[in-house]
Amino acid sequence: MLEHQLIQSTGFRNIGPVGARTGFAVRIRIPNYHGTRLSQLDGFTVTVDGEVYGFEQNRLGIRDEVYVLAEMREETTARWGLLEWGEILVDKPGGLEPGIHKVEVLARIRYSYFPPDVHVFPMHEARLATLCVA
Amino acid sequence: MGSLQYGVSVYSYVNDYGSVMTLEDAFDHIADTGATGIEILGEGQVEGYPEPSSAWLDQWFALVDRYKLEPTNFCAWVDTRITLTRNLTIAEGAAELARDLRLAHRLGFKFLRPKFGVTSHELDPDPQWQAYVERNLDLAHQLGIIICPEIHAPTPIKHRVTQGYIDFIERTGTRNFGLMIDTGIFQDRPLTHWGSHQINDEMREHMAFLNGIKVPPEQFLDIAQYVVFIQAKFHDIDDTLEDLNIPWRPVIAAIKRSGYSGYLSSEYEGLRSPWRAIDQVRRQQVLLRKLEREYDLGLLA
Repeated sequence: MLEHQLIQSTGFRNIGPVGARTGFAVRIRIPNYHGTRLSQLDGFTVTVDGEVYGFEQNRLGIRDEVYVLAEMREETTARWGLLEWGEILVDKPGGLEPGIHKVEVLARIRYSYFPPDVHVFPMHEARLATLCVA
Repeated sequence: MGSLQYGVSVYSYVNDYGSVMTLEDAFDHIADTGATGIEILGEGQVEGYPEPSSAWLDQWFALVDRYKLEPTNFCAWVDTRITLTRNLTIAEGAAELARDLRLAHRLGFKFLRPKFGVTSHELDPDPQWQAYVERNLDLAHQLGIIICPEIHAPTPIKHRVTQGYIDFIERTGTRNFGLMIDTGIFQDRPLTHWGSHQINDEMREHMAFLNGIKVPPEQFLDIAQYVVFIQAKFHDIDDTLEDLNIPWRPVIAAIKRSGYSGYLSSEYEGLRSPWRAIDQVRRQQVLLRKLEREYDLGLLA
């Protein structure tokens, strides 16, 4: 099962080869109350210890696929189910230090049934999360 | 005098669902309240939506049978703004609705709530909604499903959106399209939490409806003939069984006076603290049934 909060404890990890990390991943449950076509997601801004990683650059990993923002915006068939996790993949050469970090995620969800000018709705959560392996 | 039917929407348990609650847990929680109906989010509870596996279907029917719950309403969405640069065509929107009608029917549901894209802050639906629905009226009839868009805050009862749906019913003469009322329209005191969002001053400014749009409950009588389903939206019922936002006494009195005998489906949308929804739903089920009894005894008038 997933953890209750948006940002999951497990899955907060460095990515890329050990010794030459390329970035880190933040695992989240779907930032919505129902399953969602990927085209209805408009990116995820991640902030770690005050450093902001913008939604335009971050990628989404779900199941065995990775989507950059432009691909996600056009992906009208693949969906993210309510019981699945995804991970936000963030570029950061060298990765993060093992230890406790303040992690924030601002997910941008598009709701067609919200008025057009505010239809990209921000879902924000912050927590302390522990990254285990360098 | 007809009596009301009581159900629960699994949406009430969102955030708990999938983390501290399985689908079977949800059935158990709902059945134990004494409710007889279960409402789901199609793209939510149906794993593998829109094409669930046969294993999932087997599980669904086993749960419906074991817990003796009747599938009531299936919530669906038409993703009008399908991408940032284009909207669904009429044919695509109608196809989405047809797919959901077939899936809802397969699972045993009798109502389908479509959520259409909107074009304004007053939630005017994208004008294509009429074509989406009209192309599916025959299918809905064959499947025995009533399509019911919801009247939801900030849209009140006396509004062109509601009237537009009524005009459609009158024009087509269909019995497979009706209104769903979300009781959030009767909210007369401000919310402190809106689902997982703690409400701050900025949200109150941009979303004034969070303070309540205070539709007079007696207005329900003006549209009751078109109402086929009620989502009993609520947010907080305190330790003395008082709802802090929805004025249930006049609301139940108006619903009963209208002769409505369909479902009241609990839809909790308060603080998303783990497990909180379970008891909040139980409280609401007790409160609503108590008020119905009081009405029947002539104590609510």
